[in-house]
Order: sequence, then C-alpha cells, then structure tokens
Amino acid sequence: MKLVIVFQKRDIIIQLCCCQHCAKTLTSAPSKDVVLRTCQWGFLYRDRQKVPESVLNNLVQEYGVTMDQARKLLTAAGALMKNAVFQGSTDPADLIRLFPSDFHTSLRDLLAKIIIQNMATWKAQAINNQVSLPRMVDFDWRVDIKTSSDSIARMSVPTCILQMKVQENPLRVDQVADVSTVNVELSKETLDTMLDGLSKIRDQLSSVANR
Amino acid sequence: MSAQSFHFSQETPPDSMFSDIQTLNKFQDEQFGHLVQYVFEFLTDPTKSSRLFGQLEDFAAENGVSGNALKNVFKSILSIPNSALKKSLSPEQIKEDLDNLGLSEGKASYFVDQWRANLVGLSRSALGQTLMVNQLVDMEWKFGVTAASSELDKVGNTFLQLKLVINTGNGVTNSYMELTLPQFYSFLHEMEKAKASLEYLS
Repeated sequence: MKLVIVFQKRDIIIQLCCCQHCAKTLTSAPSKDVVLRTCQWGFLYRDRQKVPESVLNNLVQEYGVTMDQARKLLTAAGALMKNAVFQGSTDPADLIRLFPSDFHTSLRDLLAKIIIQNMATWKAQAINNQVSLPRMVDFDWRVDIKTSSDSIARMSVPTCILQMKVQENPLRVDQVADVSTVNVELSKETLDTMLDGLSKIRDQLSSVANR
Repeated sequence: MSAQSFHFSQETPPDSMFSDIQTLNKFQDEQFGHLVQYVFEFLTDPTKSSRLFGQLEDFAAENGVSGNALKNVFKSILSIPNSALKKSLSPEQIKEDLDNLGLSEGKASYFVDQWRANLVGLSRSALGQTLMVNQLVDMEWKFGVTAASSELDKVGNTFLQLKLVINTGNGVTNSYMELTLPQFYSFLHEMEKAKASLEYLS
C-alpha cells in the first residue's frame, strides 16, 4: 500500500492514510521516546530528498526493519508532522481529525501528544525558514572624523560608516546560506533623514499595534 | 630680484604669472572686480565651466581684450585661491603672496576682502567634493504582516523590508534586506546613538 494524502481544500481536513505497515512499525517501537525522536527527525528532514545514513541506520536498529522500510517510515512521519504544523492547531480534537477513523487509538493519542508538545518549536522553525528577502543578521557602525582631503587641507567633518551583514536564502536545503556585507557611508544630513524615516516607521508600527 | 618664498606655491611661480599680474594691474578697478567675481563663482561651483567661458568671452568683447590673453591671466589669478583653499592659507598670507607677485595695493586688498566673504561657500563646496565611500543615496521601506505560507496556514509575524540605494563609484546599486521587528528597534536605537555621536562631534 502506498502513502495517500487526500487534501480537501474546503474543509481543511487532511486525511492521511498511513501505510498500515508504518502504523504497525510505530506500535512496535521499543519506547515512547523512540516515537518522539522519529517524529522530530521526520519533521526535520521533511523536505530533503536524501536523508543522512546515520539517521536511517538508527531507525533500522530501533525498529528492526530494513533500510527501505525505515525511509518510508520517516517520510510518512514527516508528512504527518508537516500537515499538523500547517493546520497549526494544538486542540486535541482538531489533531484527532487528522487521522483516519480506524487508526490505532493509543498510537493516535501518543502522536497527538507529541505534536502538541513540539508545535511551538516547529512553528518557529518553519517561520525562520520561510520565503523572504535576504535577511539582515547583524550590523555595526562607527563614527569617523575626516581631517583632510585632496580638496581641502584642514577640516573636521564627522561621518558615520554602517556595516550590515545580510544572509541570502539558502540555495540548498542542507547548506547554510552565505552572509554578505553591505558597507555604507552616511553624512550627518543623510543620517538625519534616515532617522526621520525610521521614526515614521516606528510611529506607524505603534499606531498599528494600538488599534 | 631676490628669490622670495610664496605661501601658495612651493617653487617660485613662472615669469608668465608675474606678467599676467602686471596685466591685471592695468585693468580698471571695476573690471578687476568683475574678474574677481568670476573667480569666486567658478570656485564655488567648479562644474559650471561653460558659464565661466561665456562670462570671459563677454568680458573680452566688452573691454577690447583678446580672448586668449584673458584666459591666461584668468588662469594665473585662479591658481592663487585654489591652492589657498587646499592649503588653508590665512588672508594675511594670501595678501603677502599677492604683494610679492606685484599686484597693486588696492586690488590686492579688494581680492582678500572678497576671499574672506566667500570663504564659507568655498569651503562648503570643497567639502562636498571630498571622497565618500559607498554613499547612501536613498532608502525605501515597507512593512507588513505575513498572512500565510506553504508551511503554516496562519502566520502573523511582522516584517520590515528595506531597499538601500548606494552610490558605489561605479554606478548605483540597490541592496534589499528584511528585518524582524526586534532587529528594527535595535537598529533604530543604534542609529540614534550614532546621530548623537555625530552631533557631539560637529
């Protein structure tokens, strides 16, 4: 039997028909912690084509199954966790609706409990990895005083240099993205204008927050 | 004549400069005043060279002077305030140089007075020409709320997107980045500190 996901857009109910064999494998797990770890790995590697060998070997040892079955188990667990996180609800009633009605009840309750425990962490991870423009990771500034130049021998002009570290979205799922730096020089007038703009943003943010 | 030392130039200026100054002495005070005005207008805005040439041509036509001779004279008289600005000479030093070059007393004093009057404008334009690395030209921003994503059906976090337009020397580049709200507040806080520092130093 293969993995079948039926997605009904109107009801946002996701019926996941896990392979009966996968459900049987999970019920034969040595302890609840093993099931927890399986779910966590499932979520972690949910988007990967290639799962690390060490993880699969671990599953093979814990459950006493073949590599192929371990891979299928991980994929099924990942898909289940992914759908649960998409729904985002931590209400047990909603989670129970994720499973088909003839699903093993105590396994279903255990999986629901695992999902509820880890929902906050997984949501935060999903938000961190979401599609976005390059993100600013860090920034530094310094203030210099220019004392002379080729056009005037003596002067005392302060200027600000700002360096921002920007991280692109990773090109590959298993690699950390490059961090590039953006260096900008600001004169006093530029900095004043920039701060005016930033203050406007802050005012608008607080007005939105107060509504 | 014994070799005199000049402030505006390390070596003795060429003889042509001395003869140009003598030519200047022959001009009436009013005509000299016009020439001095052109000198300072050009120094305050060196990009307007076409305007300067127009002014010099008109002057040559009105006063019956040859255009080329006028240009040489003008070049000589321009070099003095130019180096004075680069070396930050005092008005007394400029007056001394003009006297040693042979400019008449009245004209030299007039020149130095005009120098004093225009000094602020000249300094400002010199500062404006000073090198700036990766100068920030413009900043655009927008902020919003993420409604949903492929991983989460309901998201609710705010983001701020900045576009910085930077003049790199080789052209203008746009730099895009996204900030979370706490990052934005810390950025604002740090920029206010930088502004306070700049204000204290200027």
